[in-house]
Amino acid sequence: MNTLLLGLMSLAAAAVAAPAAWAQDWKVDAGKSQVRFMIKQMNVPSEGGFKRYAAQAAFDPARPEAGQFRVEVETASIDTGSSDGDEEVKRPAWLDARKYPKAGFVSKSVRREATGHYTALGDLAIKGQSRPLAVPFTLTRQGAGWRAEGHFPLKRSTYGIGGGDWNDVVADDVDVRFNLVLLP
Amino acid sequence: MNQGYRWPLVSLHWLTMLLIIAAYVIGILLDDMHLSPLKLKLFSWHKWLGMLVLALLPLRLLLHRLDGFDHTTGLRPWEARGSQLAHAGLYLLMLAAPLLGWLQSSATGFQVVWFGVLPLPDLVGKDKALADLFKELHEGSVNLLLALIALHAAAALYHQYFRHDGVLARMVPWLRSKT
Repeated sequence: MNTLLLGLMSLAAAAVAAPAAWAQDWKVDAGKSQVRFMIKQMNVPSEGGFKRYAAQAAFDPARPEAGQFRVEVETASIDTGSSDGDEEVKRPAWLDARKYPKAGFVSKSVRREATGHYTALGDLAIKGQSRPLAVPFTLTRQGAGWRAEGHFPLKRSTYGIGGGDWNDVVADDVDVRFNLVLLP
Repeated sequence: MNQGYRWPLVSLHWLTMLLIIAAYVIGILLDDMHLSPLKLKLFSWHKWLGMLVLALLPLRLLLHRLDGFDHTTGLRPWEARGSQLAHAGLYLLMLAAPLLGWLQSSATGFQVVWFGVLPLPDLVGKDKALADLFKELHEGSVNLLLALIALHAAAALYHQYFRHDGVLARMVPWLRSKT
């Protein structure tokens, strides 16, 4: 009975995993890829980014909507455009980089919107809090690989990033931008 | 007899002085401050005031021209020459100091958004070495400007208390005789 149950379960698992079996794993070309963000301070747009991050993409170019995407940044590798700023946002009130060294997005499903246009539905985890997020992105041919590009708005307050007097000068809205070149 | 400049030019003169002093004091404070919300606010105000000095400059030059007042009246030839040179220096530095600050801001990678409303174009791209150079030049131009302002004020006081020739009253309406 137990063996039968196990057998059925593994069959079911195989059926669920099946689309992934055709998916191809793509490697990020770190030199050409970027995970960046734009935030306004005193209404001055400032661009920043993450120097270190890992991205995993497994998809079949013929059916990206069956693929899986995952991007994880090292919070301590943040570049805010000034070294003072970098030190500040690693503090507990902001990203708390020591306690939460990683932040990232994992897709649960991908929706096809139009040719080359998709929305990845998944969870964005920052400071140990995971929240659902829809990330629109485009996939375009880039040599032998693909370029996944998109951006999404984020509110600092949702994840408790920063606060207090800083809210007078730093906007709540952050635009997160990614441009990932994926090679076979 | 025309005893001095008309009120728009007089107002702009003293307003510019106040702006320069405020921007300078904030600039000095910024140098020693750690990053904080207050520092970001002061940084913005420093830039906004400096850009105001720059923006008022053409207006002042225009009004000065329209006023047509010959400020060298009653001066010896070398004094007139010195006065012209000093004023040319003042105007040049009131142009250079804010402009170099603007360049420094651009090179540091922070756009100037005037009074938080009007985004001014970046004059150069982000470049650390260039930012350091513009910082030096900005500070140098400001120090030179302050030195000339001190000379300018000293000369005005000299005219008022030693020459008694009414030069200071041209810029200070309430010192003018009531005739």
